Amino acid sequence: MTAAAIRLRRMVSSDHPLPWLAPLIAMLVVFTVYPLIYNIWLSFHEYAPFKRSLVYVGWENWAQLMADERFWASLSVTFTYFFVVLTVELVLGMLLALLLDSDEPGFGLLRALLTLTLVVPPAITGMMFLLIQDPEFGVLSYLLERIGVIDSTTPILATGSTALFGVMLADIWQWTPFMVLIFLAGLRSLPPEPYEAAMLDGASGLQVFRRITLPLMSKVIAVAVLIRGIDLFRVFDYVFVMTSGGPGTATYTVSLYAWQQTFSFIKWGYGATISLVTLALILLIANLFIWRAKVRW
Amino acid sequence: MREQDRKRYLADLTDRYVKRRIGRRDFMRAAGKLGLGLGALGLSRPFGGNFIRTAEAADLKPSDEVLAWVKDVSKPFAGTTLKLATESTPPSNAINSQLKPYFEQASGMTVEIEVLPLEQVLQKMTLDIASQLGTYDLYYIDQSWAASVSRDVFDPREQLAGKPELAMPDYNIDDFLPALVDGIAKYEDRWVGVPYDIPIFIMMYRRDIYEEMGFSAPKSLDEYLTQARAITKEKGPDMYGATGQMKSGHYSLECDWTAWLWGHGGSIFNADEKFTGNDERGLEAMAYWDELYKTMPPGVTGWTWDGQGQSVAQGVAATMMSWGEFFPYFDDPSATKVSGLMEAVRCPPPKHPLRTVEQTGFGEIPGVGHQGGSSLAVSKNSKHPDAAWIFMQWATSFDTQVLITALGGGTGPTRESVYDDPRIIANRRVGPGTTRHLDVVRETIANDMGSEPDLPQWAELSNDTIPVRLGKYFAGDYGSAKEAMDDIARAVDKIVAG
Amino acid sequence: MVQSNATRTLRILLAWAVVLLFVFPLYYWVTVAFKDAREIFDTPPNVWIFSPTMKNFEEVFGISFGFVTQREVLPGGGNFYMAPRLWDSIVIAVLSTALAVAISTVAAYALSRLPFRGRHHFVAWVLSTRMMPPVAVAIPMFFIYKDFGLLDTYTGVILIHALMNLPLAVLLLKSFFDDIPQEIDESAVIDGASRWLIFRRVILPMAKGGIAATAVLCFIFSWTEFLFVLTLTQTGLKTVPVVSSSFVTSTGTAWGNMAALGAAAMVPAFIFILLVQRQLVRGLTLGSLKQ
Repeated sequence: MTAAAIRLRRMVSSDHPLPWLAPLIAMLVVFTVYPLIYNIWLSFHEYAPFKRSLVYVGWENWAQLMADERFWASLSVTFTYFFVVLTVELVLGMLLALLLDSDEPGFGLLRALLTLTLVVPPAITGMMFLLIQDPEFGVLSYLLERIGVIDSTTPILATGSTALFGVMLADIWQWTPFMVLIFLAGLRSLPPEPYEAAMLDGASGLQVFRRITLPLMSKVIAVAVLIRGIDLFRVFDYVFVMTSGGPGTATYTVSLYAWQQTFSFIKWGYGATISLVTLALILLIANLFIWRAKVRW
Repeated sequence: MREQDRKRYLADLTDRYVKRRIGRRDFMRAAGKLGLGLGALGLSRPFGGNFIRTAEAADLKPSDEVLAWVKDVSKPFAGTTLKLATESTPPSNAINSQLKPYFEQASGMTVEIEVLPLEQVLQKMTLDIASQLGTYDLYYIDQSWAASVSRDVFDPREQLAGKPELAMPDYNIDDFLPALVDGIAKYEDRWVGVPYDIPIFIMMYRRDIYEEMGFSAPKSLDEYLTQARAITKEKGPDMYGATGQMKSGHYSLECDWTAWLWGHGGSIFNADEKFTGNDERGLEAMAYWDELYKTMPPGVTGWTWDGQGQSVAQGVAATMMSWGEFFPYFDDPSATKVSGLMEAVRCPPPKHPLRTVEQTGFGEIPGVGHQGGSSLAVSKNSKHPDAAWIFMQWATSFDTQVLITALGGGTGPTRESVYDDPRIIANRRVGPGTTRHLDVVRETIANDMGSEPDLPQWAELSNDTIPVRLGKYFAGDYGSAKEAMDDIARAVDKIVAG
Repeated sequence: MVQSNATRTLRILLAWAVVLLFVFPLYYWVTVAFKDAREIFDTPPNVWIFSPTMKNFEEVFGISFGFVTQREVLPGGGNFYMAPRLWDSIVIAVLSTALAVAISTVAAYALSRLPFRGRHHFVAWVLSTRMMPPVAVAIPMFFIYKDFGLLDTYTGVILIHALMNLPLAVLLLKSFFDDIPQEIDESAVIDGASRWLIFRRVILPMAKGGIAATAVLCFIFSWTEFLFVLTLTQTGLKTVPVVSSSFVTSTGTAWGNMAALGAAAMVPAFIFILLVQRQLVRGLTLGSLKQ
């Protein structure tokens, strides 16, 4: 081994990553580890309005949670939302990415236009979809009625069977373009060789997609699922603005339920308990997924 | 007369009337000569805008005596910053955008007003109370929260008595309408601030449609239903006979429910403090509501008061038994299609005798005119309670309330004397911020007012327990009204029991 | 693949149709900003033909375009002058982005170049901090902020927004650094340069595009965040998403004004996106194509 190589190895190995990571670790500890510990502590306490302070309640919040039908119902709404929206955004995002992955004139503009949806704050998106889905004044309701998809006596957001879809629509509209961006990034960095080989073999477009694109893109898809999935499980803004969880409990998600317990009813301990269970579920699902999909960084 | 001259003449005329140089009758006569009957005043848009500005800007300023008092009493507090979180209601908006500078200039204090939707105000206030942080010096307290914050605010009567040197001359705390003090501010024997604003259910209908159908204002709830049915049948789906604020899981749905419940002689609680919405009267109310619901636009189950008001404003619904606050908005020709076409009357009388406070629980006062008022109070956590008290007296004084009502869009005053002020009466013309419905509001407060029960759990019951289940009922999740009400009874009793 | 002319045309048409479908709600929202309240609620809704008014913009931004005299108090509405809030939004988004990018660039470089045991787990942990429901963070943060006097301050909101963006920013930047061949560092090391110098003089300039793309995403997430700003601010400052809810008044929602603010708020964020469009499309694989 040459002297230079030895010196190089020594320098590289002596580079300790800690100084580089310290600011990141400090931020994350203060802003996420502390809240986590605080929430665990909080879940064994409850705010007592008469004392104006927190009192120790033992496992009461946890016992209450297990027996709380509203919580389990909201969990099932959240799972439905999570799976349906994730699937639609994935499939639609992939289709659009394939469609837009071209150097035709104007396609750059199209890709840019599509990203417009991302700059609208979700709280405003909710209001926007509330307006266009209004059964009386909404342009979307009007169009859907004209083409016979819905009829005027069943308002989208106020009918149990359709309300969740109405909310999902806002999410799908806003975040499918985000998927498109990720997939476009993936498609653009694929190696050209397999495609050239496939062309020589005379494979059809569908075959190329299934045999080459999809396997090569699997990691990108996995990461997209992870990033979006985490956010979907915590969905709050759209439901909060559009339906307040209604009609009945048809669109009550876990985040909305936790928010309401915490802020409307001042049950901080119970709200924290709900949040902790949500966090545990996301962690479990995400790690299972990371492990199964073999995502590595 | 040219259009320009006519406008100038009218503005001048109104100005003189407002300054009480000419009487009401002379004013009306002169206005009539200009081809402007009261009904037509302010109908054309640029004209409407000008009318208001010229008429009011001249005279609508705080009185010098009040400002002199503010200046005098605030000397030790100059430089203080006061904070208040409030719902975006007409009084708060008028103070925030127009009147605040006068106070700030006179007192040398700074007033910061945070305007938020109602549920966010509750969130901010409870965080402030729980943390005893005192970031807000004054609280805006919706009547449904009065019980839970009663111990965190000063009783204004004690403030008046305890700090005579800070008391505003002629503040006259007895001027607040007694019914409002009872329904909004009082919890047990304490005053949770003073009544600050009063949205209340009145009956509003389209005069033109009613004339066309040969109807007159309904004398009973059954007549109202018949009229609503007829209008929907005749004119639907372009026009409906009634409308509602029936969004599931929202406080507004609970408000609509109580109107029909009380109107049929029912009540939320009985004297044993048990839920009674599922008794015979309660179910009769539900049956009535079911029928009325059929005459409403299909969107009502997605609307809060927002969509409900819009349905009338845009000419989709012909009547609305709801918040009188909307009336001044309906008359604004730049925002609605019904300016000058609306009439306000008292709600139809109850079908069965109202229950009395003795027959109900938690201080519930049945009445067809559901009130949703709020009070303003100084927080006990405030670091400047005396400065805040000065601001509070100013904000709720006679003089300020007149200006709020005249400038802020004809909201219902909480002081008896404000209703009689000539500047308020002068605004009884068609146009934005009209006050031509205020007599009805005043009579409703005196005779028909219904107030929700006061209990610390009421925020949860009225915002969640009841409206979520009513929402399920209208979405068809229950087999019958009885089943739904029994379920609500179980849930409410469980929460009340703790 | 050779595309026939017909498929090519079809593809172009389809692409335009789909994108316009996505843009349509925004177009409609912008028309709302230019309508007065009566036209917003026309039935059936009028999409193309209406008489535009600048009233909503005048009220929200406190400027007069001279078309109508502004009413002093809006019935049921109130003070809709929101221009300072747009400024608050810009300050917070820009500074929190700067902070997030600074911290995560340094960290991402280490994660890309300085292998250590458990790196994979460390990255997974960083990502997992994004999984905490915001509601659960809001309450403890409120109390910390209260103790440190950060409530209702720019610093407070900037910190929390930077934090919220860190996980994604780290992943994204790491993928950009991974794209730069190791040999470049190594040759510089042979020349005797320190890690820090290499990072500053060699790697940073090469990853400029990627950093810009990351910055834009951070900017957007801060620009659109709702719950933290709502909980941690009072009267001192507010961002656009939170202040939008003050258009919901007790006598109806001022849709036109809300849309005017919303439409105006799209402009700065969209300009940033356009500037880094190319990098955004390249970098969003988050390093997942690397082994």
